[in-house]
Amino acid sequence: MDFLSILTPFFFTLVASGTVIGIIFGAIPGMTATMAVAVCLPLTYSLGLENGLALLLGLYVGGISGGLVPAILLNIPGTPSSIATTFDGYPMTQKGEGERALRIAVISSFVGGIISLAALFFFAPALADFAIKFSYVEKFLIIFFALTVMAALSSNMLVGVFSGVLGIFLSLIGAYDISRGGNGELRLVPEFLEYYLEGGFSLLPVLIGIFGLSTILIEAESGMKDEKGLSSVKIGKGKRFDFSVFKGQFVNLIRSSGIGTFVGILPGVGGSAASILAYSQQKNFSKNPERFGKGEPSGIIASESANNGLTGGALVPLLSLGIPGDSTTAILIGAFTLQGIQVGPLFIGNNPVTWDAMIVAMLAANIVMLIVMIFAIRHIAKVVMIPKNILFPIILMMCVVGAYTINYGVMFDVWTLLIFGLFGYFAHKIGLEIAPFIIGFILGPSAEIYFVKSIESFGTLSIFFTKSWIAVLLWILIALSVWFSVAISRKKKRDLTASGN
Amino acid sequence: MSLETLLSVSIDFDTSHTVFPTIVAIVLGILLAAILATRSRAILATIGSTPWWPAKIDHMRFFGTLAGTVLYFIAMPWVGNFYPNTGLGFYICSIPYLFAMSVLYLNQRDKRHLLIAGLNALIAPSVVWYLLSELFNISLP
Repeated sequence: MDFLSILTPFFFTLVASGTVIGIIFGAIPGMTATMAVAVCLPLTYSLGLENGLALLLGLYVGGISGGLVPAILLNIPGTPSSIATTFDGYPMTQKGEGERALRIAVISSFVGGIISLAALFFFAPALADFAIKFSYVEKFLIIFFALTVMAALSSNMLVGVFSGVLGIFLSLIGAYDISRGGNGELRLVPEFLEYYLEGGFSLLPVLIGIFGLSTILIEAESGMKDEKGLSSVKIGKGKRFDFSVFKGQFVNLIRSSGIGTFVGILPGVGGSAASILAYSQQKNFSKNPERFGKGEPSGIIASESANNGLTGGALVPLLSLGIPGDSTTAILIGAFTLQGIQVGPLFIGNNPVTWDAMIVAMLAANIVMLIVMIFAIRHIAKVVMIPKNILFPIILMMCVVGAYTINYGVMFDVWTLLIFGLFGYFAHKIGLEIAPFIIGFILGPSAEIYFVKSIESFGTLSIFFTKSWIAVLLWILIALSVWFSVAISRKKKRDLTASGN
Repeated sequence: MSLETLLSVSIDFDTSHTVFPTIVAIVLGILLAAILATRSRAILATIGSTPWWPAKIDHMRFFGTLAGTVLYFIAMPWVGNFYPNTGLGFYICSIPYLFAMSVLYLNQRDKRHLLIAGLNALIAPSVVWYLLSELFNISLP
């Protein structure tokens, strides 16, 4: 088949529709890019591979980008990868600069998407080769690096690390995954819950519970006051958007997009880790780290360019190894399976037309996303501008739908939503850090496999220091990250003492 | 004893499922002890000065949300059993649940707001049920 013959108006209509639907899915809290792709996957039966992928890639890019809207306006990340966008986006909304924050986020998302797409197109084989060479030792060290970076994000380093380790601990509930080399034995599960918790708590109900239900419980306990209601949020009453905000942000954009792409390439280290990592690195390198968390535009730029950077990166291991880089690309495997195509090392060589069509679809999706979100941001924002008494019950209902459908109809996932909704509420009360907790929860099972398998293979802890130059480099990065965190913490203390005097 | 011998570890595959959770539990314990040791004064001061939960919260809205949600979760599969594989358990239970929550969260319960809450409770579950269950064949309770 000729490459140009598949670039029909129908192909681009599918990309555009997918992107718009994805943005809406991402913008509604409780609905994610993963869900958008999962919901529309059956539609690709009749579309053929290239057209089906056009729709799904549009949904992917749109869904990841749409997540920034509730993250900025509601403090609820629409997708897990928008976690770090809430840190500075929501404070900007509280200052009346919601529209400015949204536009900064959209442009950063576009830049991240395009840079990662270029990386995917030009360097896919080489980058994939590099990631393939990572053994369990390096993969464990990358997670360890992510955990040390989490400390930099936390207002209290010790509490931040504790929250992250607690997340890891809870992620280990269930069987030691036999499909990944574990022995299949259960641990940390009460006998009466063995039936439900064999596979542990599902990630999506945990995320929806912590970010959806607990937010509503926090609002409910304060009485759903109208004066703080969404209806009263004036997203454009504060400082207006102009491109000068990007002055001096070139390095941030490139670094964060690069981090997003790189993290996306690493199988299993995806999603929120990219934006958190980029955010904390920007915070560490910033001359004004104290402004972060209070409405600093460069925090939004870092988070959003990184999470859209993930979209291209996550496709690299999928298309070169058959291993998904994140949960959404995991569902994309379904689209290939529906068409009887095996993704793996031979995919690009054997299907050059499909590969080129995917690149064009991703490029078109990013352009559509930019145009739609820049020019229709006020209308999209209205999705989350509905009064609380109308919006929150709908969110509760959608949380239930999301939790129930993610594993194709498991009622225990709905109860998981409630359990972690309450957990998130009480964590907020006692001051636990939610972002490190979530990162720990996401990375915990992989960390276990990488750690145990490394020791099983080499029989010594020294392997974590001596395995390769990559391991040594990662230890240097870990040490630097801890050093930055401690330095920032000391500086903060000094500043507090100085202002006290 | 050389450093290499000191760092040598062997893991029995049969008990390998307990290795990482044990290490993580120990680290968690150490971190908790460190937090208590370094912040005990601040923690005790907070406990002494702030009212115990659930004092000073909106009891009606908070516990109403919890009770309503638990009832909703129990009712959905129960009602769904009467109409298997139709998603009607979700649809039928979502209408009163949405109405109850909307009214619970209303600060001004006049006719107009109650009418909007009622319409929302009818329309939102209908649209979601139709789109997901009927159009996309996605399983709902």
